[in-house]
Amino acid sequence: MTAPQTFATGLPVEIGKIERELKKLWEQGDEVMTRASLINLAVYSEAPDALAANTQIVAEVTKDHACRAIVMAAAPSATEDRVDAWIAAHCHISRAGSKQVCSEQISFALSGSLANLLPNIVFSHLDSDLPFYLWWQGEFHDPMDPQLWSWVDRLIYDSQQWRDFDAQMRLVETAQCDATHRVVLCDLNWNRLVHLRLALAQFFDSRNAQEQLASIGRVEIDFAPAFRSTALLLVGWLAAQLGWTLVEAADENTIGFCDCAGEAIRVSLTEANREPVSRCRLFADGTEFRVADLPEADLLEVTVHTDGQARMHQLMPAGRNDPVALLNEELMRGGPHRVYLRAVQAVRELL
Amino acid sequence: MLRDNDQPNGNPLREGIVTRTVPDPCTVVIFGATGDLTHRKLIPALYNIAADGELPPDLTVVGLARRPKSDDEFRQDLVEAAKKHSRQTVRDDVWSNFAGAVFYHQSEFDNAEGYKSLGKRLEKIEQERATGGNRLFYLAVAPDQFQTILQNLTAAGLNKPREDGWSRVIVEKPFGTDLASAQKLNAIVREAFPEEHTYRIDHFLGKETAQNIMVLRFANAIFEPLWDSRYIDHVQITAAETLGVEGRAGFYEKAGALRDMVQNHLLQLLCLVSMEPPTDLRADSIRDEKVKIVRSLRRFSAEAVAENVVRAQYTAGAISGKKVGGYREAENVAANSKTETFVALRLQIDNWRWADVPIYMRVGKRLPKSGTEISVHFKKAPSVLFNKESEAMAQNVLVIRIQPDEGISLRMQAKMPGTSLRIEPVKMDFHYGTSFGKASPEAYERLLLDSMAGDATLFARADEVEQAWEFIDRIQAAWREAEAAPVHEYPAGSWGPEAADELLAREGRAWRRL
Repeated sequence: MTAPQTFATGLPVEIGKIERELKKLWEQGDEVMTRASLINLAVYSEAPDALAANTQIVAEVTKDHACRAIVMAAAPSATEDRVDAWIAAHCHISRAGSKQVCSEQISFALSGSLANLLPNIVFSHLDSDLPFYLWWQGEFHDPMDPQLWSWVDRLIYDSQQWRDFDAQMRLVETAQCDATHRVVLCDLNWNRLVHLRLALAQFFDSRNAQEQLASIGRVEIDFAPAFRSTALLLVGWLAAQLGWTLVEAADENTIGFCDCAGEAIRVSLTEANREPVSRCRLFADGTEFRVADLPEADLLEVTVHTDGQARMHQLMPAGRNDPVALLNEELMRGGPHRVYLRAVQAVRELL
Repeated sequence: MLRDNDQPNGNPLREGIVTRTVPDPCTVVIFGATGDLTHRKLIPALYNIAADGELPPDLTVVGLARRPKSDDEFRQDLVEAAKKHSRQTVRDDVWSNFAGAVFYHQSEFDNAEGYKSLGKRLEKIEQERATGGNRLFYLAVAPDQFQTILQNLTAAGLNKPREDGWSRVIVEKPFGTDLASAQKLNAIVREAFPEEHTYRIDHFLGKETAQNIMVLRFANAIFEPLWDSRYIDHVQITAAETLGVEGRAGFYEKAGALRDMVQNHLLQLLCLVSMEPPTDLRADSIRDEKVKIVRSLRRFSAEAVAENVVRAQYTAGAISGKKVGGYREAENVAANSKTETFVALRLQIDNWRWADVPIYMRVGKRLPKSGTEISVHFKKAPSVLFNKESEAMAQNVLVIRIQPDEGISLRMQAKMPGTSLRIEPVKMDFHYGTSFGKASPEAYERLLLDSMAGDATLFARADEVEQAWEFIDRIQAAWREAEAAPVHEYPAGSWGPEAADELLAREGRAWRRL
């Protein structure tokens, strides 16, 4: 390799010679190239053209997260049984500026019954001793392959794409229970809320403001049409963290909770054609805590109004609703997502 | 020291969010607002924190300096500085939101009326911006101004916390020039602010790798059992600079390398690498352990200084192929100056863990390359099997690189490929920049946020500073008394004088090659 580059899908290789070909790839490389890997990141999809799209995502993600990527595109319903493989390197100039830092990608196209070889293919190509993150795009199959889950450290999915949240979540939970070790469930839909949650949380860092948490009586959330589940996760988070109990869902977009003291909280959801969740307002004793996305800017406008008077105005970073940003957000995290699981439980029957 | 995911302030919405707690709203008052530190470090750091969304809501900055200037002129100066020195690109929308909370107050540092009007202005701003009366005074000025400023702050009552708020002070190094001046300075500060509200900045402690030393030692089970005199042969701490004194000759002539670098930065690194595990991660638990190390440093007699300390000054030479002049040729340096631009020391920590393990330190200007690192040299494997006397093999060396190219490497022995047995050292190398694409925050960002949040872990405590000076003063005294104590010379671009090499060579050791 004379010049570092990212291949569209990579160099085609024979399945049995992948490691050998990878080694050759590095032997041909310049001395200023460094291979780096902190995790194994496997990406599985059954969508057409997934290989090319996911290669682009991996190329972006490896700028911040050096990994061995295993990208798999499966077509289980294809009539022909076939496996093709490619290898590629994603190289980026390191922050120090003097050398290329490269991550490896191995890609597979699995057709017909050979799509069932997924665990076998993954196991054969993991970089040893590194954590294994599996990003499963789309819906899970019933039953899920217990052999595969027994190796996964973090299971990444996007519940926004699920048609039946409860059924999918049950599959995931079963797989998690069957696994012999801890599998952390990571929902990219939850990551859409990271910056919004951060902006809401910081209102209540001071002791005085914390007292107002108990007075929240009304919540208004604006969400984009396909992102009702995202808005419900936000509601679930507030409910779980503030000790609210679901009382009723009067209609699809009006939900009633009561808090520990028995006080009612009304949550209104409104469709708006903007970001997944474009605005959240909390009302407590004449004070409005508002976080809203700024159109045409990747910023959140964070304000507090008391009796109509602006008390605080701040801009905070807003996340981006694209797979690279959502995955990057996930890879920056560590530890279990206990708060997410509690949020899901709080609104599970509404999801 | 707060950890991510902690919920330290009782805010249930903070749980699980991977970011630190946003401190209470406050007003940061910067004395020396038109100075270099404010422009190069403080404002870019505050802007970066704002851009990351970690600044307290309603944070207000009031710059105080002598020159007449309007708020808008001050903001204009600052935006230029931020564009030049910020690690992130300065965005107009984020900057304008941040700059709306920046104000300028003109006053001489010794003008009591200026402090009264500052007090009134702060009250007005606090009312308008609901900062809760929390005030952080940053003394970004030369130490000779500290007393004037602190006394005037006290006279105007600005040092006293208001109602439920707090009032803190950040003091920049140097914290004195010797023990007496440090004690005097501490007394002056203490009259205005209690110790728990005093934050002495040593920016080395804000660096990611310095913070990682404790993680490396106490979060990995494999190192701590080996971390004592049974397995460690010696430790080296190096801080090398290619730069000369540049525009700092006036200060440097009075300070020298020992006071400028060893008393603070290098002793802090030594503490982190050699202290006992603290009982918890509270600021005082960590600082208690650090101060025990400084207290355990074997004090030098005049004779011991001659044996264990080498000072030197650079002469003309070349750096990276470019000719450079000697120290005495620099502007504002006396022709017969004896100020050391290089110092090497052999230290002993007199405690159970480190008995008979020499600690070698060296710091110098105009060395061939810049770099700060700690290297832990382990004892050689027993002289049997592969390690017979005739085949002297290298030690295992664990290197913690503080700057640049932060990271950790471990040198070990490996068999070279081939049918014969040949053993050579190889290196396992971890680079922050390679493994993590995201840039670390600048040291000042971390330290400013910590001081706003009331976390003093990464700041020096009065007793640490005084103990360090007490140790350094003995060396200075020996140098003063023994007029003949040689100031060695080394050509710019070399690794220091031969005497520094001799310090190790006489015990069969050598400085690590950077």
